[in-house]
Amino acid sequence: METIAHLSLGFGVALTLKNIALCFVGCLVGTLIGVLPGVGPIATISILLPITFGLDPTGALIMLAGIYYGAQYGGSTTAILVNIPGEATSVVTTLDGHQMAKQGRAGVALGTAAIGSFFAGCVATVIIAALGAPLTKLALLFGPAEYFSLMVMGLCFAVVLARGSILKAFCMIMLGLLFSTVGTDLETGQERLTFGIPALSDGIDFSVLAMGVFGFAEVLRNLEAPEARDVVKGKIGRLLPGWDDIKQSIAPVLRGTAIGGILGILPGNGAVLGPFASYTMEKKLAKDPSRFGKGAIEGVAGPESANNAGAQTAFIPLLTLGIPPNAVMALMVGAMTIHGIIPGPQVMTRNPELFWGMIASMWVGNLMLLVINLPLVGMWVKLLQVPYRLMFPAILIFCCIGIYSVNNQPLDVAFTALFGLFGYLLIKLGFEPAPMLLGFVLGKLMEEKLRQALIISRGSFVTFVERPISAGLLVVAVLVLAIALLPSIAKKREEVFTE
Amino acid sequence: MSLNRIERAQGLRVRSTQDLAGGLFMIVLAAGAFIFSWDLPAGTLRQLGPGMLPKAFAVICAALGAMLALASLRYHGEKLSGWSWKGIFFALGGALLFALTIRGFEFGPIRVPALGLLVSGPLLIAFSGLAADDRKIKELLIFAVGMSAACILLFKYALSLPIPLAPWLLGI
Amino acid sequence: MKKSILGLVAAAALAFTGAAQAQSYPTKPITMIVPFAAGGPTDIIARIVADHMSKTLGQQIVIENVAGAGGTTGIARAVTAAPDGYTIAMGHLGTFSAAPATYPGLKYDPINGMQTIGLAGGTPILIVARKNLEASDLKAFVAAVKANPDKFNEAHAGLGSVSWTTCTLLKGILGTPKINAVAYRGTGPALNDLVSGQVDFMCDQIVSVAEQVRANTIKAYAIASAQRSPALPDVPTTKEAGLPDYQIEAWNGIAGPKGMPKEAVDKLVDALNKALNDEGTKKRLLDLGTVLPTAEERTPAGFAALIKRDADKLTPALSAAPKQ
Repeated sequence: METIAHLSLGFGVALTLKNIALCFVGCLVGTLIGVLPGVGPIATISILLPITFGLDPTGALIMLAGIYYGAQYGGSTTAILVNIPGEATSVVTTLDGHQMAKQGRAGVALGTAAIGSFFAGCVATVIIAALGAPLTKLALLFGPAEYFSLMVMGLCFAVVLARGSILKAFCMIMLGLLFSTVGTDLETGQERLTFGIPALSDGIDFSVLAMGVFGFAEVLRNLEAPEARDVVKGKIGRLLPGWDDIKQSIAPVLRGTAIGGILGILPGNGAVLGPFASYTMEKKLAKDPSRFGKGAIEGVAGPESANNAGAQTAFIPLLTLGIPPNAVMALMVGAMTIHGIIPGPQVMTRNPELFWGMIASMWVGNLMLLVINLPLVGMWVKLLQVPYRLMFPAILIFCCIGIYSVNNQPLDVAFTALFGLFGYLLIKLGFEPAPMLLGFVLGKLMEEKLRQALIISRGSFVTFVERPISAGLLVVAVLVLAIALLPSIAKKREEVFTE
Repeated sequence: MSLNRIERAQGLRVRSTQDLAGGLFMIVLAAGAFIFSWDLPAGTLRQLGPGMLPKAFAVICAALGAMLALASLRYHGEKLSGWSWKGIFFALGGALLFALTIRGFEFGPIRVPALGLLVSGPLLIAFSGLAADDRKIKELLIFAVGMSAACILLFKYALSLPIPLAPWLLGI
Repeated sequence: MKKSILGLVAAAALAFTGAAQAQSYPTKPITMIVPFAAGGPTDIIARIVADHMSKTLGQQIVIENVAGAGGTTGIARAVTAAPDGYTIAMGHLGTFSAAPATYPGLKYDPINGMQTIGLAGGTPILIVARKNLEASDLKAFVAAVKANPDKFNEAHAGLGSVSWTTCTLLKGILGTPKINAVAYRGTGPALNDLVSGQVDFMCDQIVSVAEQVRANTIKAYAIASAQRSPALPDVPTTKEAGLPDYQIEAWNGIAGPKGMPKEAVDKLVDALNKALNDEGTKKRLLDLGTVLPTAEERTPAGFAALIKRDADKLTPALSAAPKQ
């Protein structure tokens, strides 16, 4: 019953008029920057930091947190409408979400994403409130060896992501891993595959790669086939999901929330795996997996819920351990320190109003996001009616400004164009970019953790199997791979499809 | 278009010229990565060096590419389809123009002044807009000016991103 | 054609008025490059100080985060910019004192090739360890490390980071440069593995580790400053704990390209000084565990001397560090 007392304290803080207003402003700004490709929560939160100087710490953090999860919501809008994933977590949403948009079901996709995210956000809030402290121990069980195995498992998911040939999916994963090694070596400071270009010294930026191979390449593909892009503006379906859509989405939302919530707790950005894992699971559980990649609503509902659940449970390591699991959370640490609250294991006891107020505000924020986003769906869908001859230059300028603002580096824009060409080439060669992006995201962490684990174990690979959690994750990885590869299973399925 | 058929293809039925090109593409990329990471030490198991993983990934990429190329000889599949050179030239060229002019550029004897968003924005929109088959020049020019103004208001003023506006005219 | 002529005329007119206004620097916003991602210790200090400096100067100081290569990419961009006083940078111990010995191909010279403005603040460095490490104090820890260097795992936040720089100095002083160094991407993940006991010890800024020490999830052996910190009054200084040679502070300071107009330098120094004397700004900095700079360190010459002093201190250990 302690939880209820805590939550009522939290809601007492979050439901003051001022904090509701701040939460609303945060969510609104977050949605806006989430929709704009490239301009992420990191840039926005850091720009808004000085503005929050005048506020009390709780209000400031409520607003900044609103920007963070508002951006998650907004990011899926761009992924669905124009096939541009703003962050690693919305890569999966492009697969089926954009297909739905092309079929005139953009409204349904956006609505499902918003409702699924709202549900996941509510559940995640309760999880944080009730189980935050004990769940922290989970994070501490994960050392470098466990993370490495988790990443390997994640890569095996990517194989299942592929719509076509498995061999080609493998090619893309390895290519993603290869790209992830570009940049200065963390341990020795040696430049790897950077060709002496300073802009590459920190590696290829995720948004540069994602916007190139998804956004720019999609523009090129559409320019080549005028009839294909007209489909988008030709049909405008219903604006919100109907009962059938909701019925189809319930189970994926529940599963996505669970998976995303658990992975979000892990420090080291386990949350990025959530949507991928959820997509894999839905595709494996579906009666007809061939629908995936062609506008299956489960492929939006599950991953979107996982994404939002993970985005919220990612606050657990920050609030209870004082350790930020990803770059945005690191910025939240900065925001807290600037307001004189240094995150650590004692925040919960020392600043209960802040701790529980923030948690309660997450629920308030999710409700607001639903209120902000559902009416916007109609507007977004109308945007699709803009003639493509004007739409793509607009997409390009948003992307270019967004990319530039990530590092204030004009060269990044040029690289994005280069990756656009590369992505177009991949389309021409029948490769799919989604597994490559997952390989890219996981590659950096994987190498880092592999090297850490081997230094700590003094070069012994046994460490990966003698630690129980690590061994368990590797077993799951092998199982997932086996399911994907066993040709007999694949064949049987194909027969089912053709009937 | 052929693209839709690729997406629908399932399982291990592999295709031809497209796969052959894909396999060779992988091999070329892998070879490039391998050559450029040649000087990086691979290290030991106990202390992996910076070169270990790039080289390992490159070798695997090449092997997968070879498998793909071989498979393409045995199975029927998609053919390579044509390119949209116009899209590449105008759309990507527009982005490059933006990159070159936004804060200026200097490469040997070539010097581009920093024009800022006030010029780079309309330039990008107008140039890339030429890629569309159904372009209307007048509409495009009006759109370029209007859209750039909206972007300036949104990014420079509403979000206050540190992006140059017009250093040559306004000093910011 | 018409447009370009108009542009030329406008540019010429502006150049003229620009020259006329040169006496009253600053006439337009100033860019302060922070060579790290937003939200890190340097970024926070830059934003706090810049916020007040903008008020004094009457022009906005715009923070531009240009991350890369341990901060050297951003500093290189700042100190090679036009020396007009409108591009400055907030660097730290790593980018100004340690970088020449860390990065062989460094594209700037912090000692002779830039105009220092002043120090914004210092941050004490702590030696911390996992809470169940046997050694109970610094002396026992030093003895154990010296006896069995191969048994220990040191965590750091990547080559060129403050924790790497300061820990390499520690290992140099202890004469054990070969301790297994486990590299992490940033302080957060490194601290996580220290709390969970995967690694044995690390050195880092007080702001990053103080709360963990207070909550007893890790233990602190010593603080590498001349005085104890009010934030952690129980932690002895290295002098008290028996390792007086290990004295290092991570500081952040402002510099610009060499050849800036004297007027600009003077105004920036004055604005920085006013910011550091402002009660609100002071409180924010002190809350972060920052040590406010002395009057001497707030001057260009004093800051330059500090850079030189720490460079001399760090160079032998950093050059000898195994970078493969």
